Amino acid sequence: MEYRFTHPDDFRAHVRDRKGRSPGPRLLSAREAVETFVAEGDYIVYDFSSLTRGPQALIREVIRQRKKELWIGAEFTLHESPLLVGAGCATRIDVGFLGYGNYIGQAVASGRVKVYEWTNGGLALRVLAGARGVPFLPTRDLLGTDNMKVSAAREIRDPYTGDPVCLVPALNPDVAFLHVHQADVTGNARIFGTNLFALEAALASFRVIVSAEEIVEPDEFRKDPMRTTIPHFLVDAVVHAPFGAYPGAMPARYEIDLAHVDRLNAIRTDLQMREYLDEYIYSVADHEEFLDRKVGAKRLQELKRRATIVEGYR
Amino acid sequence: MPRTVEFTDTEFMIAQGARLIEDGKTIFVGWGIPQVVAMLAQKLYVPNVTQLFEFGAIGPQPILPFVRGTMGGPQNTFRSLQWLNMNWAFSYSATGYMDYGMLGALQVDPYGNINSTFLGGSFEKPERRFAGSGGGNQVASQCWKTIIVIRHEGRRFVPKVDFLTSPGYLDGPGARERAGLPRGTGPHRVVTSKALFGFDETSRRMTLLGVLRGLTVDEVVRDMAFPPLLGKEIAEIAPPTGDELRVLREEIDPDRNILRGERMTATA
Repeated sequence: MEYRFTHPDDFRAHVRDRKGRSPGPRLLSAREAVETFVAEGDYIVYDFSSLTRGPQALIREVIRQRKKELWIGAEFTLHESPLLVGAGCATRIDVGFLGYGNYIGQAVASGRVKVYEWTNGGLALRVLAGARGVPFLPTRDLLGTDNMKVSAAREIRDPYTGDPVCLVPALNPDVAFLHVHQADVTGNARIFGTNLFALEAALASFRVIVSAEEIVEPDEFRKDPMRTTIPHFLVDAVVHAPFGAYPGAMPARYEIDLAHVDRLNAIRTDLQMREYLDEYIYSVADHEEFLDRKVGAKRLQELKRRATIVEGYR
Repeated sequence: MPRTVEFTDTEFMIAQGARLIEDGKTIFVGWGIPQVVAMLAQKLYVPNVTQLFEFGAIGPQPILPFVRGTMGGPQNTFRSLQWLNMNWAFSYSATGYMDYGMLGALQVDPYGNINSTFLGGSFEKPERRFAGSGGGNQVASQCWKTIIVIRHEGRRFVPKVDFLTSPGYLDGPGARERAGLPRGTGPHRVVTSKALFGFDETSRRMTLLGVLRGLTVDEVVRDMAFPPLLGKEIAEIAPPTGDELRVLREEIDPDRNILRGERMTATA
């Protein structure tokens, strides 16, 4: 069974030789960041969900640059997977949760995309193993189910209890996309609210692109270190992307654009997919033009006004 | 004079699910209808229940109305005790802190095994592909008692699921433990839009416990693709109460995105 795997020593060597340590400026445009750090055939993970704090501006840029043969770790994916598959970018998906079934379901049945069933907890554990520098982690789920037949999860005898236990291999993705509330130009980043595996993904991935609603001063992080989600030396590029989670929500910043989400959900055929991609992605140069021409300031202001729940988010 | 109440089968399913949740306990809540069941329960019956979501919301008191599709939005994580992430969220179930898990399903078999991956064809060439496990596999594996919420359609109750996504009692008594799943866990109730099922202590097979008032046992079991065991006494389950319907229709789903369904009537 095919699965993505890197020996922990190979990942450590990459970190030793290729990851920057100094807090230099890493601010790039989305285009530059994706051109530089995403390659054909890459494995990509992202955090959080399609409707909440997903890195949608970066996903659209990947589609615009027509990256090919991508392998996606899809946890809370609703509309990214259909778009990435429909645009010919993604050919393999580790599931997760593969939402909005019609279009993606046809793509699975026709063989355009291969899927493997790791489950949300299984994928999160794989990323944690990648982040801990171990080749695998054991878990007491997946056992007894058909997911074991369509993933590379393995059952072994636990040497301590003597019971069967499931092992999942570490996942060290090529690229992690993390959309955050605040970042500085060096890559320090803050997420407010819950996440899937933001820090684990940043630690485990060969390259990390952070897109941020807001760019703040580096000293802000030293004044309040409890709030740092990702330290700069894990990060390769910072992209300033206000409304970067659109059409999803950014907690305490703006709400979901349900009308646009419904437009995505309505895609059933390749023709409809092509029309959506042309209209909203290929026909604009970048995220800023997308917001300006395809969404509009009035709509964006309305989505901001609707984000009335701010308790707990700072 | 008896009063007749009108409701949809979906409203009944949600309402009877909400009545099963115990106050002062913990419940791991799955995506979709289980979120709505937990909302109704928290509003009407169990103010001290601790809800938990796989994306790291520990003890939220989700704000009404329900936002369709949301998992992790600010409404969903409102007034939590703690905000974490997925690996920590599943730590709460893996260590035995979650009394209940509640999940939807595409198909369920006599042992409470859940399919949420595909219907028909094969894994490689499914006739209809669905979302897959999400975190359902972990919930069904790790929580002490799993409640399955599923629309009462015969084709959903099958002798063998097309894909075993989340474990019930697998192929019978002791099978979970033999597979290495945590001891003493498993499916507890199956809440449908017409009836309520449990699982026989000995055979671990699905057992009819109750039917919606006004329906006969035959009406409930005849289109199921396997015959469930019948409990010693089959309870009569009251239709949705006025309070349940008011909260569902006015506070949780005013736009009627989720409450739609087959129209039903019963004596209040």
